[in-house]
Amino acid sequence: MWRAVLTRILSSLMVIWLSVSAAFVALHSLPGNIADVLAGDVEYPGLREAIAAEWGLDKSLPEQYLDFLGRLIEGNLGTSYIMRMPVSDILASQLWPTVQLALSAGALAIVLSIGITLLTAGRSLRLRKVASLFELVCTSTPVFWIGILLLMLFSFQLRLFPVAGAQGWRSLVLPAVTLALPTVGLLSQVLRESMEKVLEQPFITTLRSRGLSETRLRSGHVLRHGLLPIITLGGWLIGGLLGGAVITEKVFGRPGLGTVTLNAITSQDVPVVLAVVLLAAAIYVSISTLLDIVYLFIDPRLRHS
Amino acid sequence: MKTLPYSLAFTLVASTLLAGCDNPKTPTQSTGTKTTATKTVDAGKPVAGGEVSWGITTEPVCFDPHRSGQQNSFIVIRNYVDSLIGKQADGSFAPWLAKSWNVSPDGLNYTFVLRDDVTFTDGTPFDAAAVKANLDYIKDPKNTALAVTFLEYYDRTEVVSPHEVKIVLARPDSAMLESLSSVKLGFLSPKTLTSGADLCAGGPGLVGTGPFIFQNYQRGQSARFVKNANYKWGPGYARNKGAPYLDAVTYRFIPEYAVRAGALSSGQVDLIEGVQPSDIPLFKDAEGFQYLVGPSAETSFTLNINYTHGVGTDVRVRQALRDGFDVDAVVKSLYLGTVPRAWSNIGPDNPAYNKALVGTWGNNIAKANALLDEAGWTSRDDQGYRTKDGQRLRIEVGFPQPYVRDNRDLLIQSIQAAVKKNIGFDLDLRITTGGDWAKTRADGSWHIYPNTLNPSDSALSLRDVLGSTGFYSGVREKTDPIIVGLIDKARATSDLAARQPILDRIQQRAVDQAYIVPLFAPSYQIAAKSSLHDLSFEAQLDSPSNLYDAWLSSGTVSQAK
Repeated sequence: MWRAVLTRILSSLMVIWLSVSAAFVALHSLPGNIADVLAGDVEYPGLREAIAAEWGLDKSLPEQYLDFLGRLIEGNLGTSYIMRMPVSDILASQLWPTVQLALSAGALAIVLSIGITLLTAGRSLRLRKVASLFELVCTSTPVFWIGILLLMLFSFQLRLFPVAGAQGWRSLVLPAVTLALPTVGLLSQVLRESMEKVLEQPFITTLRSRGLSETRLRSGHVLRHGLLPIITLGGWLIGGLLGGAVITEKVFGRPGLGTVTLNAITSQDVPVVLAVVLLAAAIYVSISTLLDIVYLFIDPRLRHS
Repeated sequence: MKTLPYSLAFTLVASTLLAGCDNPKTPTQSTGTKTTATKTVDAGKPVAGGEVSWGITTEPVCFDPHRSGQQNSFIVIRNYVDSLIGKQADGSFAPWLAKSWNVSPDGLNYTFVLRDDVTFTDGTPFDAAAVKANLDYIKDPKNTALAVTFLEYYDRTEVVSPHEVKIVLARPDSAMLESLSSVKLGFLSPKTLTSGADLCAGGPGLVGTGPFIFQNYQRGQSARFVKNANYKWGPGYARNKGAPYLDAVTYRFIPEYAVRAGALSSGQVDLIEGVQPSDIPLFKDAEGFQYLVGPSAETSFTLNINYTHGVGTDVRVRQALRDGFDVDAVVKSLYLGTVPRAWSNIGPDNPAYNKALVGTWGNNIAKANALLDEAGWTSRDDQGYRTKDGQRLRIEVGFPQPYVRDNRDLLIQSIQAAVKKNIGFDLDLRITTGGDWAKTRADGSWHIYPNTLNPSDSALSLRDVLGSTGFYSGVREKTDPIIVGLIDKARATSDLAARQPILDRIQQRAVDQAYIVPLFAPSYQIAAKSSLHDLSFEAQLDSPSNLYDAWLSSGTVSQAK
């Protein structure tokens, strides 16, 4: 048991280390000397050398890599080349708004898609057609466009919600809905399909014959089976939400990791990009570990094998 | 010309901008008209009070005036940073923190008499020592301040007396006055400079002498400034002579055009910067709103053709590209007449603009084809491109992704289509990275680089584009000695009137030789509620500035926030 846990932790660390190293190599293989990029169009004797010395860019790449790993072990993520602030401060101030957005969108998406599925799975054809049309529109509309449309209606016209910023729950509503809709589309499609499969199973007939009400049957038995594919999609879901958050944050002018990451990549702000990669890898690894545990709760068959 | 209801002056502004190329007014006239525009619209006595929220396109990545290279950051930085002198639209300078100044005949000594009533907002007096501390700080390469580029010939600052300072140059530099009027050489409190804190991060630690005080910064969201009640040392060109009228200004970062426009039209912000052509009717001539366009004095958006290697070395090929399409048509169809096409890489509202270039080049397809025939590009490949010895006539345009904005990539794509059709020229647009540009610049291997520069003195702008330390720094031994010589001469001619013919010759030669293909003259647009008065643009920044002069109609003050 403990051996398995230890292996799991070690392999997680390995994944994190590999992804960060890959990002390090990728960033340094981009064309152009980083000191030149930082100097921009400014040409001044000694400036590039000073910039290189300031950030330790005058050292060889293996040395820079070892420095980076050494700092990482000490828990130091370095300083942003562009914003000139400790990367940990930047992440600390920007992480919560993104997590807040992703969590509320995720929760909303799950509630909505379960609701839609419970109402439509195995029911009248017309209802299902309406639902699948809605789902198709949701998944195929760009997040960007959904955001603008929602803003035009609820912020510019009806003035129910503020246009931008992150103050209070009101400013979270539109971004969360924007980010949730494409996920709702996909989740409810998957969920309905798996629930409809379950509904065809012989044990459903048995349960019905015991006089179970349709509502209890669906929410108590069918849903549990139907949820398994969703858990498998969990990693994808988190990735989609974090990725979509980048665009949503931009449309709504919200603070968050999205803008920071985008700017860091375009300006080759190596320490920030590496930290974001590290964070993303850590989130994925912890989510997948967590999901493995959740499986055990949902599916008792896995507990004994 | 459609008449605008606001005022006659406003109509004149619009006509200047729309008709800019056909009917060029002198820069002094056109900018003069603009200045009066706001004055005439905003008849009435300013009242103090109220808060304004301003939706801007770009969140500054760095709030340090000496270090930032981001044009849009200066709109925000100007709140807390003042300069020694202020540049006016006609190219002359107005007193600011300096009451008067004097340039020695040899152009080496610049003596400034400072105001004696100025304090930084941390209480430190602004004096000669503060001037010296700032300039020395910027000059020291170890501080890696990008503003150092303005101090290329700076030798030292001498404190003559507490309120008199002498800046000594190693070589004459005609750009010095304009550089000193730039926000990049503005002043931070000596305490701030030595605090050891990194000033890029923004916030109340950034202390200057400006009309507003940096109160708070929420990354990704907003920056808030409050009135500096002691302020009475604005630039000579400002209408306001005392403290700012507004109690506070909050900048909100709203990168999407449509979202900013919606935020203003629904009253959630009072003012926006950056209005896309299709949103202009929402505010221009619209009840309750106003729409203003800034000057276009700095570098125009230009294709710089590297003439030191490849097919670009042939002047006939460069000229064919310059004349092989209709600049007017492509600019108009994309920007719907909101920006004028350019004739030089120096903007039409700049006193240094060479007006004689207007109407002298471009859109001569027959001549462009003849030039290419003469240069030996006579055969065609199966896609219709011209070839010579089996090589296609192709030049790559490397456009770094971080600099792509305002549909400039689409503009180049329409040129790409036009020159393919007109003259069989393969203008190959590649969206690259900042690193790619840095690399090709360092070794001189870039082909065509499309760009505009941060505002600076015209001699410096021309140096950065065409001089031996600019885009050509990697291949300076191959640069055109005539143009490099003229640029050096312009820098050394401290008498700005005597310098103008030299600047004219540089622009003339750059266009004649087709080192540059100027495309359009960009300008800033702002839209605001009509209750906000005396909005203006700063000539040196070529953009909106702080809201020192602005005020809210008394009826709207209470509901402003």
